[in-house]
Amino acid sequence: MLTRWFKGDETSLRQAFGCRGIGRRLLISIILFSSVVTLLATAVQLFTDYRRDIGVIKSRLADIESSYMASISASLWNLDVSQLRLQLDGILHLPDISAVAVHESGADLDRPLVIELGEFSSVNVIEKEYPIVRRFNATDRIVGILKVQASLKDVYARLWDKAVVILLSQGVKTFLVSLFILYVFHRLVTVHLGHIARYLSGYDIAAPVSSLALNRDSKGEADELDMVVNSFNELTDKLVEAYEHMRQVNLALADDIVARRRAEHEVKRLNSVLEDRVKQRTSELEAANGELASFCYSVSHDLRAPLRRIEGFRRILAEQMEETCSDQQRHFLRRIETGTQEMSEMIDSFLQLSRATQSELKVISVNLSDLVSLAVEQLQSEDSERNVEVKIEDAVWVEADYRFAAMLINNLIHNAWKYTSKKEVAKIEFGCQGSGNERVFFVRDNGAGFDMRYAGRLFSPFTRLHKSSDFEGIGVGLATVQRIVARHGGKVWADARPNEGASFYFTFWDRNRDGEQGYDTAGGGQSG
Amino acid sequence: MANRDTILLVEDNPDEAELAELAFKRLDTEFNLQTVPNGEEALDYLFASGRYANRPEERKPGLILLDINLPQISGFDVLRTLRASSSYSLTPIAFLTTSDERDDIVQGYELGVNSYLRKPLDFDGFAQLLQAVSNYWLRLNTRI
Repeated sequence: MLTRWFKGDETSLRQAFGCRGIGRRLLISIILFSSVVTLLATAVQLFTDYRRDIGVIKSRLADIESSYMASISASLWNLDVSQLRLQLDGILHLPDISAVAVHESGADLDRPLVIELGEFSSVNVIEKEYPIVRRFNATDRIVGILKVQASLKDVYARLWDKAVVILLSQGVKTFLVSLFILYVFHRLVTVHLGHIARYLSGYDIAAPVSSLALNRDSKGEADELDMVVNSFNELTDKLVEAYEHMRQVNLALADDIVARRRAEHEVKRLNSVLEDRVKQRTSELEAANGELASFCYSVSHDLRAPLRRIEGFRRILAEQMEETCSDQQRHFLRRIETGTQEMSEMIDSFLQLSRATQSELKVISVNLSDLVSLAVEQLQSEDSERNVEVKIEDAVWVEADYRFAAMLINNLIHNAWKYTSKKEVAKIEFGCQGSGNERVFFVRDNGAGFDMRYAGRLFSPFTRLHKSSDFEGIGVGLATVQRIVARHGGKVWADARPNEGASFYFTFWDRNRDGEQGYDTAGGGQSG
Repeated sequence: MANRDTILLVEDNPDEAELAELAFKRLDTEFNLQTVPNGEEALDYLFASGRYANRPEERKPGLILLDINLPQISGFDVLRTLRASSSYSLTPIAFLTTSDERDDIVQGYELGVNSYLRKPLDFDGFAQLLQAVSNYWLRLNTRI
């Protein structure tokens, strides 16, 4: 990853340090700046020279007045033309003087004397006129004008030559200095920058080589390049360290992932083992259930059939002996009848109980209130003389297997009906308390009740808390209720007092039983 | 034409058969009750084969009372065979048994039994049941 940052191709490297590189820019900058400075310096020098030359000319012109005016004035007064010419010629031979003339002036002159030497020009000249004064009768009289023209041509030519020389020498000097600076810069900086760049472009953090070092004699104090190199080396050290740390973390992560995968495999393996075990147990359970089912089948057939025959033949015997048998014989026959009846009921109850434990649940919405009403109606029709006050809460719905719910309600209502038979005004109540998953259903009566000391045995099969002479029954009803409630993931309990009635409470799908609706096939453990 | 007064009782237990015969004797109507002890003999009787080869086959019983738990060929097998045959596909057949297993009842009706009768414990009730079922299948149901 990181190495890509440092990688550049050779052309960009050449671009950076060659034709478009720092060297070229440096060169251009130096030349430009140096040229500007040279130009300014030259201009200043030329201007100074110009001023000096002009000054020289002007002082010369001033000298002319002091050294020539008196003699020229005398010559003009005397109209000594040849003398004047000599004098003017002398002026003309002074440096830079290009023309000189004398004009005689006076109001009364018809032909004033004019002597001109040299050529007068109108450009690039400094012209000066001197009045020629002659003291006459104690007054100064202007007798003429001396006109001197100094040409600047030479001044300009000298300035030009000077400028060319200065510019040429300065240009050459600048160029050489620039080249030298460039060379020095190249030696001092560019070479090392290139070296650094090459080092960086070849840098691979995964395989760090020796740290960056400049290819030069290190002497004295560290310069900026040394600082760059040191900083870079520090940076790479830190990078390498960070990279190493990252690699370690990655390795640890990889190890972690491997370990996790191994753990997952292990979990899967254990799950499959568990699944196999569950399958095995399930099939064992199914086999056991099947055996139980066939056992129940045998019971329903094989126990009932002989019992029926006993009763059948007893009945025929009783009919045939009707007139001849003694009271004692008749009593015995009746005892046989009672015995067979009891046994038949027992077989039926037993079958009901075992079915409550085994068969599959088909859970639907069931209206318990309706089931209670049905059970009460049936009992009322069988036992129309009873006076029972029944109170049923409306529309109590529950998710349950319909047959089992009916069996459950029948058993509880039967019990209530049975144990209130000795009351003058019997009361039976059905309802539910709480809401949602916390609902508790109850069947309450004001019947015989029982002592709570024996409550623990209440739901065990074939257990009775009352004498059978008081109340009929074989004690399987509540065991069946317990099984049904357990299979619907609920609990059943009772609250009672002797002669003050009993309340039976039950719940369905308790939340603390594995949260969801667990179909309990084993049938709970309260009975025992 | 079927002999309406003949009822075939398939019952392996001789005591059971005797009780049934005693019960039939108490009925208002007289029936010709024929008892066979197992499924094989029942089929022999019905199709006039084996030891019943000399029986005129066209004299079919008007009602067949079948026990489910029979040795070897079960009541279900007999029922299946009869419903598959052309001669007995419509003959009234009732299961007469002590079992009230739902599975038995459901399977019985699925195989085409006409009634599923659970023998009550008391003898009088048994006799009444026989009277009712005989009257229904041999009198009421065929009078139309």
